[in-house]
Amino acid sequence: MSSLGNVILIEDDQQIRQFVKAALESAHWKVFEAENGKRGLIEARSRKPDLLVLDLGLPDMDGLEIVKEFRKWSTIPILILSARIEEQQKILALDAGADDYLTKPFGVGELLARVRAVTRRRLQSAEVSPKICFADIEVDFTGHSVTRSGTPIHLTSIEYRLLSALLSNMGKIMSHRRLMQEVWGPNHTESAHYLRIYMSRLRQKLEIDSAQPTHFLTETGIGYRFEL
Amino acid sequence: MLENAEIKQTTRNYFVAILICILTTLAATPLRQILDLANIVMLFLLVVFLVSLKLGRGPAIMSAVLAVALFDFFFVPPRFSFAVNNVQYFVTFAVMLAVGIATAHLTATLSKHGAAALNREQQTRRLYELARDLAGAISFEQVSNVLGYFMACSGHIAKLHLLDETGELPSLKFEVALTAVAHTAIKQGILVATTQLTESGSLTQVFPLKSPHEVRGVMVVNVDSDAKENVENDNESLFEAVANLIAISIERLHYVELTQQTKLDAIAERLRSSVLSSISHDLRTPLTGLVGMADALAITTVPQNKAIHNSAIAIRDQALAMSHLVSNLLEMAKLQSGKVALHKDWQLFEDVIGSAIKLLKPALTQHQIMVKLAPNLPLVEFDDVLLERVLCNLLENAAKYSPAGEPIEVRGFINQNLVCISVLDHGSGFPVGETEALFQMFTRAEFESSTPGVGLGLAICRAIIEAHDGTITAVNQEQGGACVTLCLPLGEPPTVNPEVEDSP
Repeated sequence: MSSLGNVILIEDDQQIRQFVKAALESAHWKVFEAENGKRGLIEARSRKPDLLVLDLGLPDMDGLEIVKEFRKWSTIPILILSARIEEQQKILALDAGADDYLTKPFGVGELLARVRAVTRRRLQSAEVSPKICFADIEVDFTGHSVTRSGTPIHLTSIEYRLLSALLSNMGKIMSHRRLMQEVWGPNHTESAHYLRIYMSRLRQKLEIDSAQPTHFLTETGIGYRFEL
Repeated sequence: MLENAEIKQTTRNYFVAILICILTTLAATPLRQILDLANIVMLFLLVVFLVSLKLGRGPAIMSAVLAVALFDFFFVPPRFSFAVNNVQYFVTFAVMLAVGIATAHLTATLSKHGAAALNREQQTRRLYELARDLAGAISFEQVSNVLGYFMACSGHIAKLHLLDETGELPSLKFEVALTAVAHTAIKQGILVATTQLTESGSLTQVFPLKSPHEVRGVMVVNVDSDAKENVENDNESLFEAVANLIAISIERLHYVELTQQTKLDAIAERLRSSVLSSISHDLRTPLTGLVGMADALAITTVPQNKAIHNSAIAIRDQALAMSHLVSNLLEMAKLQSGKVALHKDWQLFEDVIGSAIKLLKPALTQHQIMVKLAPNLPLVEFDDVLLERVLCNLLENAAKYSPAGEPIEVRGFINQNLVCISVLDHGSGFPVGETEALFQMFTRAEFESSTPGVGLGLAICRAIIEAHDGTITAVNQEQGGACVTLCLPLGEPPTVNPEVEDSP
């Protein structure tokens, strides 16, 4: 199988770099390592990367700065690696243009799943699937209909917009702010609690147990994520 | 002593006045031939004027009377007798006396006013200097010194005594009588003067230090009874002005100190959080490497070597457990350091319960989780990251202490004005009578048990819930098993306007 593309991996710890590199290579990515931010930005300019994997806590510069700097000239996916207690940092990084994050410590499976999610849209940008099925639910984007085992489910227009925002970013984290913008428009005046209420209604209609969701997942303190 | 000198001075003035009058008479006698009597009157009037200017009111009045007498005796015919030929000279005498006395009076008043104005000007200048010195003072000691110097100039002794946070005057601890007077002055906000505090019976004035916002203390002045100020009342208003200046300076110093303290707190807070995050980074980085590499090893060795695969999985799980422990320790350190910044938001329990269960999935494989939420639970204001940690700790405990296969139950409900979550298990429950102790740090239900943990979980839960103004309690259920319930205040959730449905 040919290479999926180039990955720039910016991480200061050698052990983490080593296993992330091994994992990505096993998934057919070509990995270029950098142990600090400066080196990373140089690599990123010269290697024509398809994905950036970035540790937020670097010795020489703030990971957030790298995201901002990088976003000035590139739109390729950025995956953040960060520790759990840095919720605010993660939100800032996502708002600055990062696509997703992984909380340390993480396993190989998780890493590859996130990488697949953030690169998915890029790989399939041409074809937007008109139909998405999960559990016994079928969402038909062309017919604007949602059915459970063939029985139609009524969604209000806000619920439908929320559903399509989540589905079209399948596997990727959506920050509260981003979701609010996609559902209520860029000039929305509603507060975040609207989002939580509508998310709850969507779960009640589409999940088997809305308190233990398997598809509409909460990313505490940050936002929501849809997973197949 | 001072008074004696003054009497001497006055007596001398009278003698000088008499002498001048006599000299004038002697000087005018030869001129009697040349000058008209009216001009000699002028001469005497001039002398009275000069005397009143230089020697004061008493000698001046005396010289006016004397001048009339001398004029009558030596100049008005018949000479060398007080008898008068011409009646119109009585008019001259009357006018002369009246003008003399009036001049004496006016001049004396003027010079007294002049002296008073000079005194006031001096006071103003001293007050200005005091204000200038106080403006430069950067500590209470300096304020105290400036005041001491100012008062010493006029021979008084002044001391400052400030109120502490409890409303006491610590610097007056051993002076009960003065403390009582000081408290009266503070309470009433006015000057209290008393002569009963010193053995000599000298006057003690206690001024409250009234700043625009509050009374900050008192200024106690021991008035020097020897120092002769011009007017007693003047002194009092001067001291009052001084007390006001001092109060403003102390107020200024108070706010300077407050600002510095706030800055220091902020620096300490930043330092603490940067230390915590660097410890967190340093502890987590090797664990991340460990988890990742063990996981990679587990994946690559699946088909070939079952033993290595299992070891790798075990290493990974242990490293994850270690990471969890580190998280708990760091979280506790953060909570213990006092100021926890809560990122509160109105949200639903459902979200955070769901994510906690998802997060703990690997630890909960042996148990079925049942979530029962009362219908229409309202929005509750909480910090979701912290509440998720509480629920994770409770679920982890439930999983650790209940036998495999037993279900764990999570309930959400409203109890009066509280919104509560209970986590119930079917394990051994808590040791009877020790449920309260379990919320202390490093306390565990079973000492030296094989179940891993250090006894931080419930302590963290309590710290987080109390930061939310909520309560957390642990009880044993009647049918066995533990039940931990956390309750948060219901508050007033924001309204959610219903969606206006446009026809599809």
